[in-house]
Amino acid sequence: MPTAADLKPLVVDLLLLFSALLVFSVDLGLPHGRKRGLGFLTALLLAGLFIVTFFVDASGAAFSGAYVGTPWATLFKRVALAGGAIAALGAVDHVDRHYPARQGEYYLLLLFSLTGMTLLPGARDLVMFVVCFELMGLPLAMLATWAKTDDKQGAGRWAAEAGLKLYLVSAASTAITLFGLSFVFGMTGTTSLAGIAAAPMSPLLAVGMMLTIAGMAFKVGAVPFHLWVPDTYQGAPTPFVAFLSVGPKATGFAALAAIILIAFKGNQAQLGSLVLLLVVASIVVGNLMALPQKDVKRMLAFSGVAQIGYMMMGLLAGSQLGLGMLLFYVAGYVATNMGAFLVLEAIGPGRAGVPLEELNGLWKRSPWLGLAMLLFVLSLAGIPFVVGFWAKLYVFMAVFQAGQGWLVLFGALMAIVSLWYYLQIARAVYMGEASAEQRPLSVRPALAAAIGLCLVGVVVMGAWPAPFVESASAAAASFFDPR
Amino acid sequence: MGSFFDTHLLSIIVAAPFVAAVLLLMVDDDARLTIRWISLVGSLVSLGGSIQLAAKYQLSRGGLQFAERYPLVPSFGIDLSLAADGWSVSLLLLTGIIITTGVLASWTVSHRGREFFILLLVLVAGVFGVFVSQDLFVFFLFYEIAVLPMYLLIGIWGSRGKVEARGPFAFVWKRFDIGGREYAAMKLTLMLLVGSAAILVVIFAMYFAAGGKTFDLGVLGAARYPREMQLWAFPLLWLGFGSLAGVFPFHTWSPDGHAAAPTAVSMLHAGVLMKLGAFGVIRVGMLLLPDGAAWWAPYVGGIAVINVLYGAVSAMSQKDLKYVIAYSSVSHMGVVMLGAATMTVDGWNGAVYQMFAHGMMTGLFFALVGLVYERAHTRWVPAMGGFAAKMPGVAAFFVLAGLSSLGLPGLAGFVAEFLVFVGAWQSKHWWWALPGIIGAWVTAVYVLRAAKMIFFGDGPAQEFHDLKDARRTEWGALWALGACLILFGSYPRLILDFIHLATNEYLPKLSSAMQLAQLP
Repeated sequence: MPTAADLKPLVVDLLLLFSALLVFSVDLGLPHGRKRGLGFLTALLLAGLFIVTFFVDASGAAFSGAYVGTPWATLFKRVALAGGAIAALGAVDHVDRHYPARQGEYYLLLLFSLTGMTLLPGARDLVMFVVCFELMGLPLAMLATWAKTDDKQGAGRWAAEAGLKLYLVSAASTAITLFGLSFVFGMTGTTSLAGIAAAPMSPLLAVGMMLTIAGMAFKVGAVPFHLWVPDTYQGAPTPFVAFLSVGPKATGFAALAAIILIAFKGNQAQLGSLVLLLVVASIVVGNLMALPQKDVKRMLAFSGVAQIGYMMMGLLAGSQLGLGMLLFYVAGYVATNMGAFLVLEAIGPGRAGVPLEELNGLWKRSPWLGLAMLLFVLSLAGIPFVVGFWAKLYVFMAVFQAGQGWLVLFGALMAIVSLWYYLQIARAVYMGEASAEQRPLSVRPALAAAIGLCLVGVVVMGAWPAPFVESASAAAASFFDPR
Repeated sequence: MGSFFDTHLLSIIVAAPFVAAVLLLMVDDDARLTIRWISLVGSLVSLGGSIQLAAKYQLSRGGLQFAERYPLVPSFGIDLSLAADGWSVSLLLLTGIIITTGVLASWTVSHRGREFFILLLVLVAGVFGVFVSQDLFVFFLFYEIAVLPMYLLIGIWGSRGKVEARGPFAFVWKRFDIGGREYAAMKLTLMLLVGSAAILVVIFAMYFAAGGKTFDLGVLGAARYPREMQLWAFPLLWLGFGSLAGVFPFHTWSPDGHAAAPTAVSMLHAGVLMKLGAFGVIRVGMLLLPDGAAWWAPYVGGIAVINVLYGAVSAMSQKDLKYVIAYSSVSHMGVVMLGAATMTVDGWNGAVYQMFAHGMMTGLFFALVGLVYERAHTRWVPAMGGFAAKMPGVAAFFVLAGLSSLGLPGLAGFVAEFLVFVGAWQSKHWWWALPGIIGAWVTAVYVLRAAKMIFFGDGPAQEFHDLKDARRTEWGALWALGACLILFGSYPRLILDFIHLATNEYLPKLSSAMQLAQLP
């Protein structure tokens, strides 16, 4: 029987659940046309919870070790909460304008999905993993279809495709994961990660492992399981894509880390080559496919696939340094990628896809938005003094230390390939000429604040990475040694 | 003047342009005069600091002076560690002079002037930083800062070079818009960053081989790396840094980039940035990996010889004025690499002195080319002629720079090339001196021919009706650089003492490696 002590490590997640219910109740009480405040309420609640994580002690095991509260889990919670708060803030205007009647549900689903994200990094039991993944994934599929027919600008045509692709892929990946887990459970007789680690190796267990990891790779969108990414990004509402492009990835990595490095830790040599394959394939395919894209959303989608490859390098290293730097990379990526998508939202709200030409002359239409976009793409490319540089550098350091020096050269060279298409964005922003009908942009305050927060994150973590790196390292240490 | 200025002199030099750039962010876009004055003051502070550094640097003591150290990422042993040796002193002085004259020469930039000066100042802060970093990681950081703003500087403010599409591959020219500024900017950025990727791998290799505790150059330099590692690591550094120094065959970004860049950017890039590459090869490559350097020295020298000759011959066949000067830079940077490869005292002194002298000279060249282009609206040499009648000052300075370029005694270029050739003669490969001297001779041919075709002879033709001589601030830039060429050419000890001091300290580190190295 769970006791009250079991709930101590889960206090943040429970508060998040209560927040969701609070938003739901407030939504019921609000009359039509007055629901805009729900977005602010959600952002405020998430920001509050973010601050709460610094003051509550969420350590210890719950439910007989199925959940372990560690600094590792807490840091992931912070990343998810910060990302969620920015996502809610960035969505306020979009949701209010395009779906005035369906605002409460949007934020409710966002909060439920976030609950799955905050719970998962601490999970140490296979059943818990599956539950968290579904809690996270199903609301996302619903949100992807949010631009239904009541959108007048035609985005609705793509929304069904976006949502269906995401839903089918996520259902298929869950099926594959479950299939794999049934092998794992059958061969080991336990669902706890520690128990699986202790079980002897057998061919069927190996099949189970492969299937489980393949299913997880679907979730993070690694090659060859990435095909849903560009279509979903293009069709779904941009502020939601900002969130979709970072949140589930972060969580997926937490799950992959736990499964590869705890449950299957005896087989790292074999799994290493599998992960290596995913790393190389993701970086190569993501970067090469991004090159010819003419739509910025699709370009960023493929660039995201490549970024997944870089993050996976941290996993490949498998060391404390590698995991810590993976976490740092994820934190930086959340700020960077969300920022980039939110800038796109500020430029072409409500439209499915943003052609590169839409960015032409952005520096003139809105100098700060132009500068923000420049910094975001530089960070994605890994240029010094924005966070992306340190992130890439540290994962490179980790793989070098793990004896894969050639991966550093490979990764750095592919980063230069990526610079080609990132610079296309910078070129459009600073060298393109705005067409006559493109007038100066004014960004709504909520969206501007969300972009500003991302910008602060990118610049602060880039200029002064030390404290973030230290806490990520400490968190990684707690991953290996929960006590 | 309290001691604060003395103890933080290097930070002030590095930070001044950066602070000026931040100040510019807050200035209104239309306040053109304010923008220029802030930029000028920022560069003057750095120049003044560099002069102060040269004055206060104790030649009798030598070594690293004015050291400062602030922890940056303690868990990985990254410190913002600054200190100056004799080489740094001379190269800081060069950078200070070039950025100040560069700002003066671009006084008339009005299109998006604020962003232009911001990027220019950020770039130069990176250059200053590289020359004084004593932490390999920070060295790399500053190096990147110095390279990256070029993309926007060339892409936005650049001009189109005139390139003839000819031969079986003419369609490639059209397809990629070769000669266009966006093509040049992209080519330059990508090629230089490929070099950075190679450098990064070696930095990690050295860091972990030395214990993985610190990136301090002194500590990394004291460590002995396995010979096998040095043999693969040195060529990566050579090509990585060398691509910025214009080492053949990785020089092709340089003519396109320099030709497309606006005046001040060409001045800075050819005058100072290419030196970063050569400085990196010597300071990091040769001093930290002596065994690898000694083994690879014949190749470094051999390629440098190709650079000298190929650059000179290419310059001779160019018709676009900026391409002429850009290829001459490739040729002259070959002299620097040749001096470095000799691994003799005279060779190294000559290499560093050539960085200094070539910086001044090519800075002056690009300032003049910018003036000519602005007034004539063309860079096509065959179309020009007789410009000296309308712009006598520009013509005089062009001839002065040209004479220094071909190595006329009494000008800075002569001292440098003479030292390098003496060094080459003393080295194991005495014959390196011959192609070097031939290169200097070819330089005389194309420089004098260009001067004749542009400034003398018949003309100027009708279409060049608004040719004017230099104006106020432009005179400042020309006189400053011209005076430096004469001053440091006739009294080289002013700088050579600093260079010689550092060379004498560093070269012995390589002597044992030189004895070990077998000739391939």
